[in-house]
Amino acid sequence: MQNKIYHLTPEGLKKYKEEYKRLNGILKESRSKIKEIRDELWRPEDLNSDYEPMESELISVETRIKELENILKNTKTIKKSKQTKPKIVTVGTTVVVEADGQIDEFTIVDTLEANPSMGKISNESPVGKALLGCKKSEVIVVHSAIKATYKIIKIKYA
Amino acid sequence: MPKKDDELKKLANFFINVGELKNKKRKGWELRDVKNPETIAAHSFRMAIMAWVLGEKRKLNTNRVLKMSLIHDVCEVYAGDTTPYDKMLPKNKKKLRGLLDKWPRLSKKEKEKNFREKYKKEKKALQKITSGLSPNLKKEINNLWDDYEKGLTREGRFVRQLDRLENLLQALEYWEKGEKFMIEPWWIQIKELIDDPILLEFMNVLDKKFHKGKK
Repeated sequence: MQNKIYHLTPEGLKKYKEEYKRLNGILKESRSKIKEIRDELWRPEDLNSDYEPMESELISVETRIKELENILKNTKTIKKSKQTKPKIVTVGTTVVVEADGQIDEFTIVDTLEANPSMGKISNESPVGKALLGCKKSEVIVVHSAIKATYKIIKIKYA
Repeated sequence: MPKKDDELKKLANFFINVGELKNKKRKGWELRDVKNPETIAAHSFRMAIMAWVLGEKRKLNTNRVLKMSLIHDVCEVYAGDTTPYDKMLPKNKKKLRGLLDKWPRLSKKEKEKNFREKYKKEKKALQKITSGLSPNLKKEINNLWDDYEKGLTREGRFVRQLDRLENLLQALEYWEKGEKFMIEPWWIQIKELIDDPILLEFMNVLDKKFHKGKK
């Protein structure tokens, strides 16, 4: 896995720590169950139909734990500034924009926490990237054959 | 073996239910009066192929991305297909056209509310359609779907973005054939959503291929 640095909110980090703890518990339990089944077998044909999915789930859990270890090792927590109003758009701020005559609102987050349906866009998406570092009243244009224009109306902490 | 026979009967019911997606047209195309719009199953089919091939380039778990692509819309057998415009559809056809010409903008609060309502409805539908399956298979499908919906893993986030990218590709194909709708909303959405490097590159390829320097 690449050594990318993740910028997580304290809530996001807490979520990953809780998942890591929970999965380690599941891993211990699953390994013990599988060992029990194997120890009681005389022949491979005696394996019940649930054994393979159990082994497959164990592999998924192990893979996920490795992923979480990488995330937890390479995370910087976004600390809330003592200022009441952010001056520029950064990861962790919410931006109110005017786009195509309508008002929209996004919170800029790390890729791990992105969920555009919930109004959280990734700092690595074309729009998220273009908004980073901008101030209130700035206008950004995201180019391609179709141009998308965003005027920053307000910046606030999420 | 009676137990295996019973399990296979339940699987047959599950496959028949899932097969309904071969008959359900995608709602977004119906709203736009697209001729012979694709079905939900057709979308899942191409998405699965894209997930497999593009996912391998990102060294993702192929097994996981394939399964996730295949089941991501299974809940729509009971929950139905949705579009981002569902909460604001006017009855007037002229007003509808105007609405569909732009990407819908909502407050963060509205987005969160809509997401939670949709998630709840679709989760219930997924639990209904998987209710007759073995505990392990039911758990696997529900976990894969949850991962896709919430972007819990690299695979989940990738497939979620790919869902929109396949939809963009389909929109571009219809648009190029002369279907009468504005293509801008898809580009607006995709640029707020995609951040995976290979999908960003693929998005640029589609941009050049379908727009060829034209505006």
